Amino acid sequence: MTIGIPRALLYYRYGEFWVHFFKKLDVDIVVSPPTNKKILDQGLKYISSEICLPVKIICGHLDWLKNKVTHVFLPRFVELNGGLYTCPKMIGIVDIARLRFAGQFQLIAPKIKNNFYWAHFWLGLRFTKNPLKVKWALKEASTYLKHTQPPPPNGKPKILLLSHFYNIYDDYISRTIINTFKNQGFTIITKEHLDNKLLTSTKGFAKNIRWVYERELYNAFYYLLPHAQGVCNIISFGCGPDSLISEIMLKEAQARTKPFMQLIIDEHTSPTGLVTRIEAFCEIIKKQCLNIAPITN
Amino acid sequence: MKVAFPYLGYDTIALKKFVEMLGAEVCLGSPLTARTLSLGAKYSPELICLPFKITLGSFVEALEAGADTLLMAAGARKCRFGYYHYLQEDILKKISNHHQFYAISQYTPYEFFFKKIPKIFGVSPRRVIYATWLLLHHSALIDYYRKLIRLARAIDFTSAQKKESEALRIIENVSNLSAIRKAKNKLKELFQPLFKFKKRIIKIGLVGEIYLMLEPFANHDIEKELGKMGVVVIGRRSLYRHLKHLLHIDTSELKIIIDAYKYLKDSPGGEAIKTVGEAHGFCKTGIDGIIHIYPFTCMPENIAYEALEKMAHDYAIPLLSISIDEHTSKTGLLTRLEAFVELIKRKNL
Repeated sequence: MTIGIPRALLYYRYGEFWVHFFKKLDVDIVVSPPTNKKILDQGLKYISSEICLPVKIICGHLDWLKNKVTHVFLPRFVELNGGLYTCPKMIGIVDIARLRFAGQFQLIAPKIKNNFYWAHFWLGLRFTKNPLKVKWALKEASTYLKHTQPPPPNGKPKILLLSHFYNIYDDYISRTIINTFKNQGFTIITKEHLDNKLLTSTKGFAKNIRWVYERELYNAFYYLLPHAQGVCNIISFGCGPDSLISEIMLKEAQARTKPFMQLIIDEHTSPTGLVTRIEAFCEIIKKQCLNIAPITN
Repeated sequence: MKVAFPYLGYDTIALKKFVEMLGAEVCLGSPLTARTLSLGAKYSPELICLPFKITLGSFVEALEAGADTLLMAAGARKCRFGYYHYLQEDILKKISNHHQFYAISQYTPYEFFFKKIPKIFGVSPRRVIYATWLLLHHSALIDYYRKLIRLARAIDFTSAQKKESEALRIIENVSNLSAIRKAKNKLKELFQPLFKFKKRIIKIGLVGEIYLMLEPFANHDIEKELGKMGVVVIGRRSLYRHLKHLLHIDTSELKIIIDAYKYLKDSPGGEAIKTVGEAHGFCKTGIDGIIHIYPFTCMPENIAYEALEKMAHDYAIPLLSISIDEHTSKTGLLTRLEAFVELIKRKNL
């Protein structure tokens, strides 16, 4: 029995945790390689064109895994943090995988509804009969759940890069964007630079947002905006939650006169177009910085 | 107080009556036109779905007509719909500042009956409960009427259309429960002469997102057009069923969830599970084709689409999926419908 884990969507948040958890339980795992053009092209064959880019990518990864493994681990994240929802597509992707890849592999899809720990505990008991070993494996692996990064160095101008983890950490999607900002001399800060307590806070508008990852994005926007010179929001085309929350963030950024850019990406986005837009955006920020603090001799 | 709410197809009549029962005047503005949609699209965010644009456009037109109290359904869950009102309130504030915008949560019945509605209209909770009870029966009447007109259109389109204005007058002129019962009989008598037929009629199941299912303007009168082609449309979605769902008295819900289980094990939000469940129910009882309508980039319905495609493959039933946004042209839609109906006719030969 070999378990495949697609390197897409939730992998970028919980992947390391899962890999270590399965390794501790002595289960053979195969993680699909980082996204490339071929994987994406394969994914497009499985799903309707209106669905967002990350879901198309995960279909490509499932396609890559289909002849190499017997089981695929694809948990169904329904609710987290006490009644907060994930996105409809994250709930539906399990059913899509079940229907589209019927007979190619078996799905291991524990339902996670406010029971992150226990869902994994029962999952572990499938592979070993010793509950203490599962408990130990969970404890060892849970150190990989934390993603908080140290604060970035002061001095350099900063860009707040707002997007879901499956967009930012997927190198294929974000490589051009991050590299262009770096070439322009900006440091990138993301929501991982914020403390977990602030990320899940319910102050202000955040309490109205019932999507768990959108609430994190909004909190990151709210608390990191004063530290950044500009905000760049990457939205995958067709993303429902982003289309609303980004609009609310845009209005707030305008009220606080901070440059805010929405980059809408899909599989047809050309890197050259992105570079041009980002360069123009950086010019605006540089001009604005000059206006605020003029250079004096 | 002049109250406005978004248009909701035939069910607008029932909602109007509900507001009038609570002692307020209804001011909806002109019926939905292309202008409504272009107004809505002008003020809306780029990536939002169609119901947002239509409801926003109808609010703008209602404000122009002199409405001062706007009511919008809310209630945030997995679907985007629950978040509409935050943006709409903000956008409408910039257009006019002589109005009050109330977001009414769908999922908190206690607040609805005892706090929010009594406060807005200045009436007692008892009256709200009575008005809601009447709304439930009135929408049931409209549900019944829709069933009749769908069949009547398929049999004899021109005479069915002639009777529509009279039928709508009967539906509008009800004020209590006994009148609703009488109106139901009257409707039955009105359409009975049409229902003498021998030939087999093509049955098409209509499933999809609730707003597009209910509002003829949003779905480009798809039911009427199909009726013109001699097709009887079967659709379960209505305000009546939605109200029953919200009041937790819908007994058919469990059956829908069980029906959907083979294709969708968990609700991805919105009405996707009902779309799949209803479609599976249709497949099992025998149907000639399924039409699935949803707004462009609708998240839950896109998941439902994947399930429906598999289902259509399993049962060998033709499936037409139509995603609609403000750029959808009626001519293009008609061509697709005609081709689909033609395909079914060939298949049945």
